[in-house]
Amino acid sequence: MASHPAKSTAPLEYAPYDDATQSLRQIPRYPRSFTRNPSQPLIRRPLTLSERTGPADLARRLPVDRMDLSRPDAGTARVAGQLIHVAGRVLDEDGAPLAGAMIELWQANASGKYIHEMDRHEAPVDPNFTGWGRLVTGAEGEYEFITIKPGAYPVGESDWWWRPPHIHFSIFGVSWMQRYVTQMFFPGEALNETDLLYNGVPDPEARQRITFQLQPTKVGIPNLLRYRQDFVMRGKRATPAVD
Amino acid sequence: MSQRTWVPSPYGTIGPFFLKPLVDGCDDLTQWNGKKARGQQIVLTGRVVEEGNAPVLNSIVELWQADAGGVFPHPLDPRAAEADPGFFGWGRARTDREGRFQFRTILPGGSREENGVARCPHINVMVLAIGVTRRLVTTAFFSDTPESVDDPALNCVPANARSRLFAVRDAALDSGATPVYRFDIVLRGDHETPFFLD
Repeated sequence: MASHPAKSTAPLEYAPYDDATQSLRQIPRYPRSFTRNPSQPLIRRPLTLSERTGPADLARRLPVDRMDLSRPDAGTARVAGQLIHVAGRVLDEDGAPLAGAMIELWQANASGKYIHEMDRHEAPVDPNFTGWGRLVTGAEGEYEFITIKPGAYPVGESDWWWRPPHIHFSIFGVSWMQRYVTQMFFPGEALNETDLLYNGVPDPEARQRITFQLQPTKVGIPNLLRYRQDFVMRGKRATPAVD
Repeated sequence: MSQRTWVPSPYGTIGPFFLKPLVDGCDDLTQWNGKKARGQQIVLTGRVVEEGNAPVLNSIVELWQADAGGVFPHPLDPRAAEADPGFFGWGRARTDREGRFQFRTILPGGSREENGVARCPHINVMVLAIGVTRRLVTTAFFSDTPESVDDPALNCVPANARSRLFAVRDAALDSGATPVYRFDIVLRGDHETPFFLD
């Protein structure tokens, strides 16, 4: 059984997210965001052990050796699509690496189709592509997945739009307060300009934090186009923000 | 001059396609390490609804809770050595067409802070769904006498909304000997569930 690094220590306090660096809760022309988010103000409460702890042993609870989506089983053929390597680090607000964080990833196949009963898009299924991965970050907070670049797909009913290629990530840091979910986008995609969710993050700098950075193409593994992005989890803030 | 350079990454909605293999097998918290969890087994179920009391299909609900003795199996808990080795404390489930989720778990014990402050037995709950661009977090409390509960998180909730945070024993739903508790989550609208600042 693979051994995993000791998990980073959980901080005692967490500042609330700064809304200016986050997604809008209600995004214009995205109807569900208006019917599914509370009308009443969110309630500030003191954090106790209950919120400052979290599942510590996820690497034993769930399979975490799924880092290569391009060939889910040793015997299967490579999946169809542009092979990519996505990597980076999980850090906290002090830039300290988060070791032992669990990352889950899920995505559409190269033609924009998910293996999900709710997906009614008429695009081909790739029988070799399961579309999900899961791993635990290393001692320096690092992660890497091998996968394919997902395709774009149309969404919505009366007011539909096309989702640009994106990969979903779900991260468990060291506590219940460090439970994070996002979508990561690809640089230079024309569809990024019109995507309601990407632009639901109004700050262009913040959008860059959910956009992969293409890496130099003349280094690394020859058959993998490489992208990088770090994830910054909330928690610890030794260096105060400048007002 | 100091400047903070590490800003938390922006949240995003989970969308409609959180894949089945990521959810399956995570809704039973009553066993771990080949051992049965100590304490009273319960079923925790409820409906996630949006404005207009419409069911939210395909949302993801996650739980985090103390064991029957009120201990969290985590290094920050000074009592972690006493944690039930048969209890993992975390679970995940998807809502069906009626917006219904269901977990098998154990009734949590009340936990205690190092400074002596007591927490009422409770389960941390979070909801992810299409349209929920940042997770929504709330807490399900367990008490036979909700009106007399003194809990530091509950005390922050407007008095007229506190009752919505109590899981309700529903004997009509009991499955065999296992008591069923109902905790409905109203994302928006009448009787909206109080959510905490994340």
